[in-house]
Amino acid sequence: MSQATHTPRQAEVKAEASRDRMTGILRAILTQRVLLVFILLVVVVGLMFIFDAVGLMRGNYNAAYMAGALTNVVPLAMLALAELIVIVTGRGAIDLSVGSMVSLVGMTFGFTYGLWGFPLIASVILAVVVGAVLGAVNGVLVAYLGFPALIATLATYYAYGSLAIVINNQQPINSPEIQGMYATAQPVPIPGLSGILPSIPLGIFLFLIPTVVIAWYLLNRSPYGRRLYATGTNDVAAQWAGIDVPWVRMRAFVLSGMISGLVAVVTVGQFASARPDAGTAGSGMALPAITIAVLGGVAITGGIGRVSGVVLATLLIVWLNAGILLLFPGNAGTQYQLLALGLVLVFAALLNGYTNRRFRVLS
Amino acid sequence: MTTDIQNSPEHAPSPRTQPGGRVLPRAISGQELVLIGVLIVLWVLLGVFTPAFLQPQSIQPLLANVAPIAMIGVGMTIIIITAGIDISVAGMVMVCAVVVAKLLAEAQMPLPVSILAGIVVGGLLGLVNGLLIAIGRVHPIIITFGTANIFLFLGLRIFDSKVVNGIPSSIAVLGRGEGGRLLGVPISFIITMIIVAIAWWYLRYTAGGRHFYALGSDSNAAALAGIRVRRRTILAYLVTGLLVGLASCIVIANGTQSLAPTVGRGIELQVIAAVVIGGTSILGGRGSVLGTVLGAILVQTVSSGVIQLGWPSQLANLFVGVAIIIAVGADLVQQRLRRKA
Repeated sequence: MSQATHTPRQAEVKAEASRDRMTGILRAILTQRVLLVFILLVVVVGLMFIFDAVGLMRGNYNAAYMAGALTNVVPLAMLALAELIVIVTGRGAIDLSVGSMVSLVGMTFGFTYGLWGFPLIASVILAVVVGAVLGAVNGVLVAYLGFPALIATLATYYAYGSLAIVINNQQPINSPEIQGMYATAQPVPIPGLSGILPSIPLGIFLFLIPTVVIAWYLLNRSPYGRRLYATGTNDVAAQWAGIDVPWVRMRAFVLSGMISGLVAVVTVGQFASARPDAGTAGSGMALPAITIAVLGGVAITGGIGRVSGVVLATLLIVWLNAGILLLFPGNAGTQYQLLALGLVLVFAALLNGYTNRRFRVLS
Repeated sequence: MTTDIQNSPEHAPSPRTQPGGRVLPRAISGQELVLIGVLIVLWVLLGVFTPAFLQPQSIQPLLANVAPIAMIGVGMTIIIITAGIDISVAGMVMVCAVVVAKLLAEAQMPLPVSILAGIVVGGLLGLVNGLLIAIGRVHPIIITFGTANIFLFLGLRIFDSKVVNGIPSSIAVLGRGEGGRLLGVPISFIITMIIVAIAWWYLRYTAGGRHFYALGSDSNAAALAGIRVRRRTILAYLVTGLLVGLASCIVIANGTQSLAPTVGRGIELQVIAAVVIGGTSILGGRGSVLGTVLGAILVQTVSSGVIQLGWPSQLANLFVGVAIIIAVGADLVQQRLRRKA
């Protein structure tokens, strides 16, 4: 008798427990953006391998092809990290001017290294310094003068982009020194593993990995990182806690400028030329960078965002784009890349909204 | 005793009116007066230094170029008043323009039908934005970054990697040439001014118009006051889409007989620049379409002034950037002074 009543209840308890576990897994996937992007990344790459296996691709989607596509990861991931650092400070902070800073610093790098014969190291350091100064202008406008970030960086987007084009009379700089920079964009075999792993673009080791490590350290292990997240979560509380909020925001924009300056060197290498429209051609570099930052889980309202999410999101977009290029012939490929980027972003944004309401995550 | 009388209920100022008896802000804000002053100074200076500037053949194309920016700017002003933003208008312009151009040049449809089709397409795209933002409850900048890419994709697919050739001259009625003028003023500019006048009246004097401001100041308070926040939000993006549809026809008409897949590129930032130079607060709740028109005229004046002075045309963007900083900076100073007063 007692057993008859006991069993259904046990089943019920078991069902409830499994439902709890399902909710738990769903919750983890939805609230841990890094996990979601990682799953998407595995799914996308898996799908591309399947498409390749059944012969839908026009070329081979294999490890070597994926490694070659990494060239595009370097500038995108670095600028997305710049956006992460800025957006995380909250109050609608955003940096629309990164593409223009890349163009302008690229030109100054072209002058110093390509025409005036400065040593390479000095030119690179100078590029980062010029980037820091340009970022500082944004920082002063936003943090100290109270301009909304969208407006201030829209204005400097125009101003820097215009200066970059005018500074050398619309001409690119292609001196032999600059053309030699192309070596930094070439793939190199990894010592000791050259048979197992394909060659990786040199820029990954020269520029991306150092930037990622420094950004990770700054955001997660340094006092500045704690202040950055505190400011973004609640700037009034941060102010009362003794944090110099304007200075925190100012430094975020300076960091964004420094990263843009380094990206300028990267793009000069990739084009083998200092082009006045390097970061502003087409729809520019800022919009894709912001898109990837958001996809990587950076909340536009501030206080939330992780380096790992941004890096994974860049890999997702770049390997997805690389696959699309092989799936669709000619121009159609680049067009479908736009569609994919747009759909992924809208999907991620809607999911963010849903997650925040379902699980009451801080946003 | 006198103080008692002053404090008695019938003498107390009604909570609905501000001191001075005003409910609404002034018809023309300080920012707009400053802009008018700057424009006059600029026009006089340009007139002195380049005699060609104040000639009709120089002002007419300037106004024709202002028309599409100001027309989209009306929609963008409403969106920004609701504390939103729309990055996707460049993609929308591309889709609408290529649809209209193909209908005219390849399907040989009559002009009114083609324009109507452009407006409908624009409305649909705006509706997509509005629905995603209102129902999905996601920050508008994110959603419109996404839809911007999707719209660009649509536009490029319709273009099919080819330039649309042979757009009939019937569309010149909206263009900047001889055929597009009424009493010497570009018809496109007249249409824009009519739309601006309607929007100015609607935003200022109707309950529906004031709801946009309420929504932008505090959407929670607006919802508690009974405003249908979602419906207002969708309406703002829908109206912008419709206006983009019409503005795209003007963009085609201002161009040549062929339409290249670069149409609309960068227009979203030009429109946003015009709106913020016009004194509309990007934080929402404050702004007017009159300022937006002045902002659009200022941007165009700078662009054509730079060219007429014989400077490199790309230098214009530097001045646009500086203009944004000065205009918004002046507004910030005014706000700070008002808060202190």
